[in-house]
Amino acid sequence: MIRLEHLTYTYPGAASPALSNISLDLPDGQLILLIGPSGAGKSTLLRCLNGLAPHFSGGAISGVVRVNGYDPVAATPRVLSQHVGFVFQDPEAQFVTDRVEDEIAFALENAAMAPAAMRVRVEETLDLLDLTPLRDRPLKQLSGGERQRVAIAAALALRPSILVLDEPTSQLDPKSAEDVLNALVRLNHDLGLTVILAEHRLERVLPYVDSIIYLPDDGSPVIFDDARAVMKQVELTPPLVTVGKRLGWQPLPLTIKEGLRFSRPWLTEQRQRDSVRPRHRHRFVRTGAPYLQARRVKVRYGAQEVLRGVDLEVWPGEIVVLMGRNGAGKTTLLRSLVGLVRPQAGDIYVNGRPNKEREVADICRQVGYLPQDPNTLLFAESVGKELEVTLRNHGVERGNWRLEISDQETEQFSDSVSGVNLQSPITQAPAFPITSLLKRLNLLDKADAYPRDLSVGERQRVALAAITVTQPGALLLDEPTRGLDYAAKRTLEQLLHGWRNDGMAILVVTHDVELAAAIADRVILMSQGEIIAEGEPSEVMATSPLFAPQIAKLFPETGWLTADDVSGVK
Amino acid sequence: MNDSLHAQGARFRLPRPLHPLAWASWLAAIVMLLTLTRNPLYLGMTLGAIALVRWRWVSAADEAEQVLSLSPWRFGLIVVTTAAIFNMAMVRVGMTVIFTLPAWIPLFGGAWTLEALLYGALNGLALTGLFAGFTVINRVVPVRALLRLIPRAFYPVAVVISIAVTFAPTTLQQIQQIREAQAVRGHRLRGVRSWLPLAVPLLEGGLERSLQLAEAMVARGFASGSERTERWPQLLVLAGFATVVVGWLLQLVWKQPMWGGGLLVVGAATLLFGLWRAGRHHPHTVYRPEVWRTRDWLVTAGALLVMAAYLLPVFDRNTIFYYPYPALSWPGFDWRIGMAMLGLLTPALG
Amino acid sequence: MKQLTKLLTYTLTTLVGVVAFLYPFWLPQVTQDASGNMAHAGDSALMVTMLVGVCFVVLLLEVQREAVGAKSIALLGVLVAINATLRFAEVAVPGPGGFSPIFLLIILGGYVFGSGFGFLLGALTLLVSALITGGVGPWLPYQMFTAGWVGLSAPLCRPVVKIIARATGAAPRTSDKGKAETEARRVAPRPSSLPPHSEVWVLALFAGYWGLLFGAIMNLWFWPFAVGPMQMHWAPGIGVWETVQRYLVFYVVTSLAWDMARAIGNFVLVAVAGAAILRVLRRFQMRFDFVRLPSQYATARVGATESR
Repeated sequence: MIRLEHLTYTYPGAASPALSNISLDLPDGQLILLIGPSGAGKSTLLRCLNGLAPHFSGGAISGVVRVNGYDPVAATPRVLSQHVGFVFQDPEAQFVTDRVEDEIAFALENAAMAPAAMRVRVEETLDLLDLTPLRDRPLKQLSGGERQRVAIAAALALRPSILVLDEPTSQLDPKSAEDVLNALVRLNHDLGLTVILAEHRLERVLPYVDSIIYLPDDGSPVIFDDARAVMKQVELTPPLVTVGKRLGWQPLPLTIKEGLRFSRPWLTEQRQRDSVRPRHRHRFVRTGAPYLQARRVKVRYGAQEVLRGVDLEVWPGEIVVLMGRNGAGKTTLLRSLVGLVRPQAGDIYVNGRPNKEREVADICRQVGYLPQDPNTLLFAESVGKELEVTLRNHGVERGNWRLEISDQETEQFSDSVSGVNLQSPITQAPAFPITSLLKRLNLLDKADAYPRDLSVGERQRVALAAITVTQPGALLLDEPTRGLDYAAKRTLEQLLHGWRNDGMAILVVTHDVELAAAIADRVILMSQGEIIAEGEPSEVMATSPLFAPQIAKLFPETGWLTADDVSGVK
Repeated sequence: MNDSLHAQGARFRLPRPLHPLAWASWLAAIVMLLTLTRNPLYLGMTLGAIALVRWRWVSAADEAEQVLSLSPWRFGLIVVTTAAIFNMAMVRVGMTVIFTLPAWIPLFGGAWTLEALLYGALNGLALTGLFAGFTVINRVVPVRALLRLIPRAFYPVAVVISIAVTFAPTTLQQIQQIREAQAVRGHRLRGVRSWLPLAVPLLEGGLERSLQLAEAMVARGFASGSERTERWPQLLVLAGFATVVVGWLLQLVWKQPMWGGGLLVVGAATLLFGLWRAGRHHPHTVYRPEVWRTRDWLVTAGALLVMAAYLLPVFDRNTIFYYPYPALSWPGFDWRIGMAMLGLLTPALG
Repeated sequence: MKQLTKLLTYTLTTLVGVVAFLYPFWLPQVTQDASGNMAHAGDSALMVTMLVGVCFVVLLLEVQREAVGAKSIALLGVLVAINATLRFAEVAVPGPGGFSPIFLLIILGGYVFGSGFGFLLGALTLLVSALITGGVGPWLPYQMFTAGWVGLSAPLCRPVVKIIARATGAAPRTSDKGKAETEARRVAPRPSSLPPHSEVWVLALFAGYWGLLFGAIMNLWFWPFAVGPMQMHWAPGIGVWETVQRYLVFYVVTSLAWDMARAIGNFVLVAVAGAAILRVLRRFQMRFDFVRLPSQYATARVGATESR
């Protein structure tokens, strides 16, 4: 039983409260989803439930929090650990030991449980999450999904009646996320455990939840209701719900199964009226030579073949999305394109020049590469300095930087970026306009900010700025939507479309099928180091059960991928 | 490291693991012995015992996978040579003169003697023995098991070490990631300045992780004592320490063996009691504690036997303190001490 | 009371530690006056070793109190992991001679977070890197103790920095919170801006100085084995001064070049990276201190209990 009354919480030094006047009564035994735009205080709310806020963040709290009759603020998180299990976003950062069993025993050791009782409890907890086969394994050897299940087991070792999870699947691939969510559903159904879950990618969890808390960021009141009722009221909805709302389907479908009951007759009707229009496609003509070219590339780590003869071409002015399971070789392919991995066989050409005997730094002047964790890129004192550092790294003379340029030049810049001849000597290279790039990335007012003070989405854009300031002809992104909410994702999509229209060659590796559906001009599927399918997104993605977006499942054989493709909707 | 050790145990039929505390007692005996004696006969016996235990416990494959592998042979060669030559160059004592340098040369002038050479070599041998003894422990006892030896009074420190050991491999990956991320920005490694783009993200990332880790620990009931814990056990420890120091000085400087010895014992007891009380601030239990078997008793008894033979004035202790000065002489040997030293071989049994 | 115990522990252990470390120089003198019983000298060497161990334990119990709570423990754990990895990882800086990047964090960590934290960071860095590389050896206690001292002594730079800051009129910010504000924050300007040059220079000099001293202290461990103190029984004319002379020769021959590289390396590293890293640590420290702000939080608690 969780009760919040007029809960208001302000972080130290913050001008306005992160949570203001929240009152909620959460029943026992439900699977409850917590949603809301990023910055609305979802994490903060969850941390109030076991007292991590304010005990670990200071600040001011007022109002009442009651969890199983306890006041987390007065009782301290240590006492609450008996009642609330907590699972964090990053599976790696929450482990204290390095073996599965020890990790589960950690909470029991802290509670000074007798060794004999501890053996029994660890055994039960392993069974609860099907971890028995992994019990002796080092945590390092586990997959992301397995790690998150260990984290859940560790949180449940003390047998709390409430399990709180802060975006537990945001760092996982679709299959691992599925495993984790299934485990949660089972715990909820079999044990009556109250599960409270914050999550960005609603399409994945919506089928399982009993009720939803919607936490707005504009000061309007919190909504807590049955899942269907909340979905009707909010903007942030998965494509299935969006289409359902637009077409006025009642009751609002939350699963594909429910949706098909409406979509099948609707589609037949549309076909009879002959009003099914194909998806709008970005028209793109291949001109000149491919900017990135890989020929029969083979990479081997020890005895393991990671890439087995991959051929790939990316032309200027297209977005290619690379998909596949974990371990399919996607990231390795990306890394070999910029020279971070040197293939044992095969050739790679960037803008016609072979990669062999070129340094990574040299290749990266022509190819921007955004690694999975953009934080690893950032170190300078300000956003502006980050950009200058890249230019200095590449040996660009200070005289060629432009801090201020006129509007006219800005227009010229966007025209010229595709036509830049990067093989020309530096002295003849165009000026590198820092200001216009920051403007384009909507970072102009942040030019003097310390990069690490910014939000996740902003930091990613700073990292993007730092790698594109040399005006590369190609851009490679590895899992760019990790930890981004719907709004930040939308911004990223628009940015990529803009660059593509300017003639950049863009290659994106992602698990996020909805992102792929929204941006891809061409999709490549990889498996076990080989390309197994390639072509139009509607052809490739619609047929794959794992990579089909919701709309493709809902309207088979239409070629539609996103909610906007669905024709006949105003 | 730990797992591979057990896996190889099956293949090379290494002995069943000993309790880390048994190993600790064995090592304590070795350290004590090598600090005390310079008698070549006893030194040789100790080195032989270490070599035998090492041969029994450390497989060649295990040897190969160590990060820093300096073999005790190489270490011994370097150290014995250095110590012998240096001692000969510095010490002007001894009857057996090898050669004489003119006396006007500062420090090096005078007679260089065989005794000095030999004594230096003996010192080097003792050091080699210490090194070899520690390498056995390094190879045989898993790090986690070693950490469990830390007394409860130091539970927070034990947790810090355990976290650090867990995070070190992650840090290595992190360094690699950051290096790559900087390389794609055109970063090249030249000079100290280019270190900064690597250091700052590493540190920032580390600090972030530490905060997350702290939250994760507390959410699972971790507590490491509070500021409010009583202070007197620590004062007791401090008082015990002061008493030990005074007792030691009395014994050593003012030649009061009785008073000094008494104070030493009282001080040590106070100190241990204080530590025990301090340990009660950290109530927690251990999952799967190591099992203490008969063989562990045997090893501990062997180590205690050696220590007793060396420290208690029962046998001829003068044989322990051998010096080649002023003239080379045959070292004394008490066969009872020699027999007791066989206790060092107990880990090689079974 | 708390301060007194702390001061007492620091003084006593450091004093005894220094005396014990220097035993090759004085022990033979003391024992020589006795009946010439060599057995006694041998036992004393063993006693000195044990005393160093006890010293370490007593000091550890004190510094551990200063780094209590999950946050400090996790922070220490992660910093130790980073530092221990830097020690053996093949990093950017090609290590000339005895140069090792570990002193950067030990000194800056101790300087920002206090002497207890610094001691633990120093001592545990050496311990953990030995554990993960399998390099536990008889020298380890000496290394741990000495590296701990480096961190322990780092806050000594604070008054120097303050004096220089006052003399140059750089940042004489008067603290209005008085005792509640830690020494570190009083010295620190706004954490978001880079610290003044003088502060970095003081720390760089301090690091360079420790680079040399660390080597000299570590050599004391090896020294009795290279030239045991015992032979002085056989050369009654030799006094402390001769022993010191020999040690100097030993040091110059075996270590000086090595240690110079470390000293210069330390100096350069702190001079170059000190400012940026100080800022990172202080930014984090701001969050660190939040827990202990009781005012608003206390009123909230009263409100909560009332409604119970």
